[in-house]
Amino acid sequence: MSPSLTRYMFRRLAQVLPILLGILAVNFVLIHLAPGDPIYLLAGDSGDAAYYAAMRAKYGLDQPIVNQFVLYLWNAAQGQFGYSFAYTRPVFEVIGARVPPTLLLMGSSLVLSISIGLWLGAVAARRANSSVDHVISVGTLIGYGMPAFWLAQLLVLVFAVRLGWFPIQGMVDLRAAYQGAPLVLDILHHLFLPMLTLTLLHLALVTRLTRTGIRQEQGEDYVRTARAKGLAENQVQQRHAFRNALLPVVTTVGLQIGMLFMGAVLVEIIFAWPGLGRLLYDATLNRDYPLLMGIFLSVSLCVIFANLVTDVIYTFLDPRVKFT
Amino acid sequence: MKHTFVLLALLATAFSMLGCTSAPPATTQLPAATQPAVVTISTQPTTAPATEAAVPSKEGGTLLVAITSDPGHFNPSITTGFTTHVVADSMFNGLVGLDENLQPIPDLADEWQVSNDGKTYTFHLHPGIMWHDGTPFTSADVKFSFENILLKFHSRTAAGLTPVLDKIETPDANTVVFHFQVPYGPLLQRLDVTEAPILPQHIYQGTDPQKADANLKPVGTGPFKFVEYAKGDHVTLEKNATYFKKGMPRLDKVIFKVIPDANAALQALQKGEVDYSWATNESQMKTLQGSPGITTAKAAASPGGSFCINTFAFNLEHPPLDKVQVRQAINHAIDRQRIQNQIHFGFGKVATGPISSRMSWFYNPNVTKYDFDVEKAKQLLDQAGVKPGADGARLKLVFPHPTTFNKYGELIREQLGAVGIQVQDAPMDFNAATDRVFVKRDFDLAIVSFCNGPDPEIGVRRVYDSRNIKPIPFSNGAAYKNPRIDELFDKGALTIGNEQRAPSYLEIQDILTKDLPYLWFIETEGTRAHRSEFHDFQNWTGHFAEYAWTDNPK
Repeated sequence: MSPSLTRYMFRRLAQVLPILLGILAVNFVLIHLAPGDPIYLLAGDSGDAAYYAAMRAKYGLDQPIVNQFVLYLWNAAQGQFGYSFAYTRPVFEVIGARVPPTLLLMGSSLVLSISIGLWLGAVAARRANSSVDHVISVGTLIGYGMPAFWLAQLLVLVFAVRLGWFPIQGMVDLRAAYQGAPLVLDILHHLFLPMLTLTLLHLALVTRLTRTGIRQEQGEDYVRTARAKGLAENQVQQRHAFRNALLPVVTTVGLQIGMLFMGAVLVEIIFAWPGLGRLLYDATLNRDYPLLMGIFLSVSLCVIFANLVTDVIYTFLDPRVKFT
Repeated sequence: MKHTFVLLALLATAFSMLGCTSAPPATTQLPAATQPAVVTISTQPTTAPATEAAVPSKEGGTLLVAITSDPGHFNPSITTGFTTHVVADSMFNGLVGLDENLQPIPDLADEWQVSNDGKTYTFHLHPGIMWHDGTPFTSADVKFSFENILLKFHSRTAAGLTPVLDKIETPDANTVVFHFQVPYGPLLQRLDVTEAPILPQHIYQGTDPQKADANLKPVGTGPFKFVEYAKGDHVTLEKNATYFKKGMPRLDKVIFKVIPDANAALQALQKGEVDYSWATNESQMKTLQGSPGITTAKAAASPGGSFCINTFAFNLEHPPLDKVQVRQAINHAIDRQRIQNQIHFGFGKVATGPISSRMSWFYNPNVTKYDFDVEKAKQLLDQAGVKPGADGARLKLVFPHPTTFNKYGELIREQLGAVGIQVQDAPMDFNAATDRVFVKRDFDLAIVSFCNGPDPEIGVRRVYDSRNIKPIPFSNGAAYKNPRIDELFDKGALTIGNEQRAPSYLEIQDILTKDLPYLWFIETEGTRAHRSEFHDFQNWTGHFAEYAWTDNPK
């Protein structure tokens, strides 16, 4: 690592703490401002005032919100993020169990949508305004425009219910209880439809950006120079135009991580995928404050990290960008 | 930095968008029987329900059950939540069980006696019961469960028994005696596995029951033992080979699979990915009734609530809703039959009052009824002085409701619109609606699924007792005050024997259907569906698979 990169990373990492504090504060206020109350989960529906008051006191929900926040920060500083109301377990124990399925789903969709999107975008750009270009553009836009839940249901109806190629829901076949390699295959079998849904949803953006980027770069002087040098068209496209066209794609994909997570919430619900998105949904319905804060914190950290990685990749792709 | 704020905005949006449709678990309970006034000794043997045909049952097999939400933990004594109970109840027992008509039957206790003054209940435990870890179960476990857990953390049991219970004694390892300060009628109705599951003292002693490790590795006495919990995905239970009910359970394994989306659960059932569904809704029942290989069933009770009635609360603090003619007019303007047909697809029953007709021992069929009659509704509004204004509207009413009641919102807006009442319907998520109605009291009309429980003392009183007008959920949201009603509820609770208690409740129904602080729409019923090769489910209780068996044990 060059000294400038080290310095840069150090400075960026130092920013993480104040950013996180800000995120925690905003989220804390946000979830307490939202109508609703975790007491319905904690105290059930007995309709008994004394009981509600006792539960409120036990969980500190009777304290002023400022006190609650200070207490939360104080505990968080010591690594205590509290117990989930619904799970009666430490927040990060609950979250930890749900991370791998979400990483698998989001990660595979991300890789797929980027690689397919780049390829389709490049094809569309090279044959701009041809029928191939039109098919790609319209096709990906339809994917982009479709509501996630509808697209997911459609895929289930066609590929799982009618054709029977894939399971309808879940991550593993509970009846078969596979181990080892068959288990991996079983998970991939279950992964296919939810992954396809998320990929289709995000494909259009990458394709569009790549196509536009390459088209733009093709008009630039350096491309003309490359051609004038007598480079083969393939080389002109891949070495020069494509590489520059990647810049906006990288930036956008970094931004998209948060979006992708939101898409994952719906997809995880429809396919009964046991991930973090669904945990967020349930925690929201229950107003499970400690768990919500924990999820926000985890997702924020992921996004901050993704942005850092994006910026670093950017500097490699574009030598004009310097760490300062 | 910028990126971070984008995320924040997204999360904020997510928050507001996630308004959703999880059904509120309402009152849970299962009723108890007509208790004779004097000493009662139950001598019913523990028997399996009669099998559907003369086919002998088979041993073995795995049952895959669809549930809508992750159970989170398996301590049924610290929550009334359906999501925990639907799974955990199979691993535990109560002192008594409840049969299909929600009458008490032996569970951990073989028999029981009630003293003549109704203040002392003595339970004789089934001998030789073992916890799943091999430790003997004794009366000390019962005492510990009530004193240390149920009376502190099970909201309905805590609220119901704490004010009346004097002490619990254990004269020997197989006997438990409950002493009350007053004669207490409804006890046997609140001792089943949903209302008062018994936990092991040797595991929970010295722990905080709300954070104990055992909540995720439960040790019970129930028909099935805990094997594995994959958070958010599934829970696996296996047969308790030393279960104290002879020959039960028959299944080797029960696996609960979380399928949050109702359509996915339906398709999974049709395709055989699951065998039993707690997630089937009324509209899906129609589809399933014609499906080959699927059996559908109805149940008035579940670990999420029994004898539930979809009920309108009028905010009596908002004129002119304080005028009885206006409430009568609204009763006449609502076509309940159409609600049953169009919203509930014909399931359930049109309600006539605050007590469900299925609680037949207290139900009063001879109450004032309000037929669907638009002209009469308009006349009553005229009489009350609620005349059409310049815009043609007589009255504007705000109707916040959970999204699960969206169809009610639409039909009610239309039906009340026909008599000149303009309804502004405001759908929101369940939690927000509960807060707005019961705590902020910002509503004119509100709709709640109020479950009677197996006894009016559990689920009915809280809604009508003037001492329960408080900013807390599922209380007397209408703010209805009638000293005679309060008095009758007191009398009903302190009397022993359902026959002796009945007059109080009959009068309550008579008064309430005249005063109309609430409007009762539909007595709803639970809908279940399962693969036809499975038999003998007890669809009304958390012990639903205790006797179940399959034609094809693998």
